[in-house]
Amino acid sequence: SDGAPGPGHWDADAAAGGLVDLAVPGGAFSGRRAPCLKNPVLGPGVLQAIRIFHTRQPSLAPIPCVPEYGGKVCLGLIPKEFFQFLYPKTGVRGPYVLGTGLILYSLSKEIYVITAETFSAISTIGLLIYVVKKYGASIGEFADKLSEQKIAQLEEVKQASIQQIQDAIDTEKSQQALVQKRHYLFDVQRNNIAMALELTYRERLHRVYREVKNRLDYHISVQNMMRRKEQEHMINWVEKHVVQSISAQQEKETIAKCIAGLKLLAKKAPSQPVL
Amino acid sequence: MNENLFASFAAPSMMGLPIVVLIVMFPSILFPTPSRLINNRLISIQQWLIQLTSKQMLAIHNQKGRTWALMLMSLILFIGSTNLLGLLPHSFTPTTQLSMNLGMAIPLWAGTVITGLRYKTKASLAHFLPQGTPLPLIPMLVVIETISLFIQPMALAVRLTANITAGHLLIHLIGGATLALINISATTAFITFIILILLTILEFAVALIQAYVFTLLVSLYLHDNT
Repeated sequence: SDGAPGPGHWDADAAAGGLVDLAVPGGAFSGRRAPCLKNPVLGPGVLQAIRIFHTRQPSLAPIPCVPEYGGKVCLGLIPKEFFQFLYPKTGVRGPYVLGTGLILYSLSKEIYVITAETFSAISTIGLLIYVVKKYGASIGEFADKLSEQKIAQLEEVKQASIQQIQDAIDTEKSQQALVQKRHYLFDVQRNNIAMALELTYRERLHRVYREVKNRLDYHISVQNMMRRKEQEHMINWVEKHVVQSISAQQEKETIAKCIAGLKLLAKKAPSQPVL
Repeated sequence: MNENLFASFAAPSMMGLPIVVLIVMFPSILFPTPSRLINNRLISIQQWLIQLTSKQMLAIHNQKGRTWALMLMSLILFIGSTNLLGLLPHSFTPTTQLSMNLGMAIPLWAGTVITGLRYKTKASLAHFLPQGTPLPLIPMLVVIETISLFIQPMALAVRLTANITAGHLLIHLIGGATLALINISATTAFITFIILILLTILEFAVALIQAYVFTLLVSLYLHDNT
């Protein structure tokens, strides 16, 4: 057993599941792998048998292709190679003449006897030929359709898997793109927060201003009130003292003057028209 | 004439060697093993047919009955192919031999009965008495059911043998009639030939139907007993 088997040689390693050394009959085979070989009577026979019959192909891959069309036949039975074989000697009609001659010879010499079976043969074979000619193509198409369905199913699974992966890739890409645009969101949020902070600051500033103004207003109003009170007090004091300073004599004289003056006016009054 | 009529049913032997064994093993060559994912047309059609038949035939069985799937499918394939091959001229049909049909029917039937008796003893024994029989009739009915049980394998074998043999004999006889009438009057011979063609069509159908019936009955016996 050399190292790498040649193209046509039996790869013993691959084929019989690990039977390596055939040169040593019974020596390299363990009872676990080939218990039949432990039998002293049948062991050597089995050894020879499995050496002759190839149960598997010599190499596992690549397997040969199935031919797409079968061999060409004439009359459905005779391969075209036979016609080709007879062509050089007898020409095109040679095989047909041969066939006719054989049939006539067997009939005339009663090698083939016409019995009841002949008619049953005619009817059976005739029926078969009719069915094959009429439905053969459609049955072939049906068989092809079965194979195509199988392939289409597997193809669909493959395509579905590819599509799934493609969708995942697209989703991932779009999510990546979204991540790129995230900064807009952050900017907006940052702006919002800045505005809110600004607003709060200004509000507080305004409040401070108001409070301070309140207190200052208070002081001013207190001052104003004090001044007014002082003014009123001063006026009252001055009026009181002036009133006190007017004696009773002066009061009488003043009143008498006022009366005299009013009488004078009353005399002058009726001479003027009433307005 | 008599010898010729039944000669086709004699077990064929060539120079004293029984080649009937080869003839019985021949149909298995016509069902190739699918070795690839996508096979040729013959294998694709056979795969499809076997799938169709097995799905339809095993639908009524439970888990235990479905262990017989291989047996039933190989049975219907064997009987069908053997019957169809027997329609070819000058061929020998093994299923015309009562010995072979008994050899198929008795073990299968006995297998179903013993399975039933072993795993569901009470239920399989209860099959001997149909439901709702009036009390006085029970003893007689048990005897009748026993007889009908034991006749099942005989009926299976004889049914197949008789159908196929009768068909072959009829084809032979009518072919002989056609042969004899050709010298007398061609028209009558032609009519007889038409009858022969119709008979051949019938025989093709019978070949398949008998296979189906055989397998179906075995599967029914199985269904009763699992």
